[in-house]
Amino acid sequence: MEKKLSEMKYEEEGIVTDIEETLRKKVAGMGIRVGKRLKMITKQPVKGPVVVAVDEAITSLGLDVAEKIIVEMKS
Amino acid sequence: MNVLLMGHPNVGKSVFFNRLTGANVTESNYPGTTVDFTKGWMKIDGEDAELVDVPGTFSLDPKDKAEEVAVAMLHENKDAKVICVIDASKIERGVYLALEILEEGYPMVIALNMWDAAVDKNILVDVNNLQRILGVPVVPTVAISGEGIRELTSKLKEAKPVEINDIIKNAGCLT
Repeated sequence: MEKKLSEMKYEEEGIVTDIEETLRKKVAGMGIRVGKRLKMITKQPVKGPVVVAVDEAITSLGLDVAEKIIVEMKS
Repeated sequence: MNVLLMGHPNVGKSVFFNRLTGANVTESNYPGTTVDFTKGWMKIDGEDAELVDVPGTFSLDPKDKAEEVAVAMLHENKDAKVICVIDASKIERGVYLALEILEEGYPMVIALNMWDAAVDKNILVDVNNLQRILGVPVVPTVAISGEGIRELTSKLKEAKPVEINDIIKNAGCLT
């Protein structure tokens, strides 16, 4: 099942399948690219940023960015 | 000689800076401690070199003020050599930045810093292979204890520009 990164729940894991074209370069510097495994660490309340683990690195992303990244959930 | 210390936020650039110059700029365990740059002097083989502690940046595509400073520093120092500091346990995104800098033709040495922390996490980086692919010196370091620093500075003079196409070719041999 695919969903937006912003819709992932705590502890959920998935593999990135699509990133909106305009964002690709922006998130590449944080190690996020198609094919990468992500794990949701925290979602800050009140439309705050999401915090995800990419390999060993923890990265926070604005909700607007997280909405444009599509993830295939690990079943 | 002009040397720039570059890398992601919170990988230990300022610790390197203090080690290499004997200065005492603020270090902390938070990303974004250095928002402006600091200059200092160090000796390389008896020769004076100017070392610049550049604010941390994720890419050469600036997203905030500190990153803008970092990118401007790089572009104002076209003849500089770069020490690219990478967190040894977060290799992929570190190498991304290193490649961006190499692509612009800067000679570079890479410090795989916090090597001890990576070992604790069971992460082992194939230094020789990385060095072969990138064509630049790669040195494991632990900046806070000083491990690898001497080797790193001694390799600075070996630093030379590399062709991105060569890196692609070298990386291709793996598959």
